[in-house]
Amino acid sequence: MTEGELALGRVSRPARVRLAWRILTHDKARTMLAIAGVFMAILLIFVELGFFFAVPQGGMLFYDNLQFDLLVSSNQYEYQAQPGQFPRSQLDRVRAAPEVAQATALYFGSAKWRGGVDGKWPDVFVIGLDPRRPIFKADSMNRELGLLERPDVVLVDSGTRPMFGPLTTGRVVKIGDHSETIAGRYVLGTGFMGLGVILVSDQNFARLFPYRSLEQVNLGPIQLKPGVDPDRAAAELRKGLAPDTRIFTRSELEAHEVAYWTTRTSVGLIFGSGLIISFVVGIMVVYQTLATQVSRQLPQFATLKAIGYRDRSLDGTVVTISLLIVMVAFVPALAAALGIYSVIRDETLLPVAMTSPRLAAVFVATLVMASISALLSLGSLRRADPAELF
Amino acid sequence: MPLAWRNLLANKPRLLRSSGGIGFAVLLMLMQLGFERAFFNASLEIIHRLDGDIFLQSASKYRFATRDPFPRSELDAARAVSGVASAWPFYAAWFEIFWKNPFDDKSFLVRVFAFDPDQPVLQLPEVEGKLAELSDPDTVLVDRRARRFLGMDKGAVQSELNGRKVRIVGSFSLGPDFESDGTVVTGNRTFAQLLPGPGGAPPGVEVGVIRLRPGSDPATVTRALRAALSPEVAIFSKEQLLELERKFQADVSSAGPIFAMGTLVGFVVGMLIAYQIIYTDLTEQLPQFATMKAIGYRTGYLIRVVLEQGAFTALAGWIPAWLLSILLYRVVGEVALLPLRMTAELSLISLGLTLGMCLISAILAVRRVIAADPAEVF
Repeated sequence: MTEGELALGRVSRPARVRLAWRILTHDKARTMLAIAGVFMAILLIFVELGFFFAVPQGGMLFYDNLQFDLLVSSNQYEYQAQPGQFPRSQLDRVRAAPEVAQATALYFGSAKWRGGVDGKWPDVFVIGLDPRRPIFKADSMNRELGLLERPDVVLVDSGTRPMFGPLTTGRVVKIGDHSETIAGRYVLGTGFMGLGVILVSDQNFARLFPYRSLEQVNLGPIQLKPGVDPDRAAAELRKGLAPDTRIFTRSELEAHEVAYWTTRTSVGLIFGSGLIISFVVGIMVVYQTLATQVSRQLPQFATLKAIGYRDRSLDGTVVTISLLIVMVAFVPALAAALGIYSVIRDETLLPVAMTSPRLAAVFVATLVMASISALLSLGSLRRADPAELF
Repeated sequence: MPLAWRNLLANKPRLLRSSGGIGFAVLLMLMQLGFERAFFNASLEIIHRLDGDIFLQSASKYRFATRDPFPRSELDAARAVSGVASAWPFYAAWFEIFWKNPFDDKSFLVRVFAFDPDQPVLQLPEVEGKLAELSDPDTVLVDRRARRFLGMDKGAVQSELNGRKVRIVGSFSLGPDFESDGTVVTGNRTFAQLLPGPGGAPPGVEVGVIRLRPGSDPATVTRALRAALSPEVAIFSKEQLLELERKFQADVSSAGPIFAMGTLVGFVVGMLIAYQIIYTDLTEQLPQFATMKAIGYRTGYLIRVVLEQGAFTALAGWIPAWLLSILLYRVVGEVALLPLRMTAELSLISLGLTLGMCLISAILAVRRVIAADPAEVF
């Protein structure tokens, strides 16, 4: 073999990309079709992944809007809307610690909203809190809490379902056995707390649930003094707590909620299996596309072989074609996914959102998909025999 | 053997590839459709098991899984209506009673169903065989198909409900739904101890289960009941009770749109795959089609061949996907404790969707054959 033939056999990388590009642009209609197929496959992965994470995120909604560094709960804690109870004295003890700036008590209950449409009484999730303590991240919400200092008034989450009837300010609704006036609405979202959520003052909570004592608290969000390390503070506070009470840091809490929603419910399995199937479908689409391209270009590939191109460089061309297709399809798929996410948010109230790790994960999955498909379609390329073609 | 079929068989690796591509798109649709059905069926399962002709429940009850009892006296009034053979109470609690896992002592919310063992209203064979045991105080039956962390499937003999010791006298197989992780069935006396009514009175009735005398007309009895009962009690047939729950689930849950979207995406992906397959097939067979044209075959016949080819491609993808999904339904159903079942309805819907996507693709691709010019091909 001469020097020149060797050089020909080893096609340089830019040349390989050029060759791949020319194959793709040779028949634009077919390439568009291929890109459309890959586009749908990537979109499918985005959608399934969005759902997969939306559920635990829905479970985190309340915490994400709450200002706290540590959270005190019962050790019977299941998830946010089912946290168990612990004695308020434990919270008082935590409040007395030097590193703690604020420790508040949250009370959760469920009552019949005796004013739904069609005479139905949907269950409403009731959150009782001290209206003088600003515990939400949004200042507007903390200011609204002031309205709760009047007796027998409630604030309604704007995500409360239409079956609860109008949520207009001033409307009087019987909740449980008490008449309550809607003092306003706030924007947070009902998450997995229920179909409707209201905020009431702790005093009002005690009136709504006469069999419940304010001595039994559901959750105790804690704000630490500036500069205090949450992990160290949590370790310190745990020493003084009763064994049936526990303390979460924010990251521990998030891990707990995500684990709850993905493993204890069917959510993980349903969307996990959807994710796997969409990945396989993606491989199938890209493979189908590549195999078609290769078989269509077989005479050309065989010719290249005949004039001295090596298998390896032709393989490289196919891999490049595959990567080019998925990269071109990725951008519109991302755009479409953002659109679908916002439709899902409006339709289902699930907080489906695009995050950069998720974006990166899908991009990597896409590249893996492209590579696997390329490897699968190399077989027919190997068989390309120049002698047979003409 | 039809020409279309021989065309497909001519290149076996390609047939395998195309049935793989279409098959996975079909599998995706079947999984999404199956999950959607399972989601709704899980919440309807217990209503199906209620053994009666007419049902009473609070008019303000907006879904099945919420406690909204009505006074027992309404059942006495119902019993006096002519045509009514029996009016028996069904008690239930979804968010009030905690079960202690007998193996790790952790407590979890469970749903509890109860009835008078002398007046059984649940059609669960294993429950019907244990009525004598349920008459004893503090005895329960547990669901073997409850979520594993409840420890109901390992044959414990004793546990606690809301801190009260109970004896486990047997088990049945029902499965969780999306609201409850597990189910306990108990007698009415045990239930009254767990959730007494106001002032220690017997608890209110969640559902009144009415059976009609043979030969009486349900519509007539319903009218008579409406006249005899308080307006705070609503009267349902089994189908109406199921419909109320179905409508509630469809209105509030995200499951419908989520799985519909998954199915739609599967359909579109499938269509794109099918189009590529059929288009490629036709491109390769173009000389043959052109030859047929040249020797006098009509375009109409060729179009029919192409459509048949599309239909066969659909079957080649659908059959393996359908078989695989039966296996997947079984495995996922056991692991996720979901009632995933292949039904005639699901089979027909998925077959229709598969034929639809392949035939649309064939129609889109058939232009090539129509345009095939024998003179140009050679």
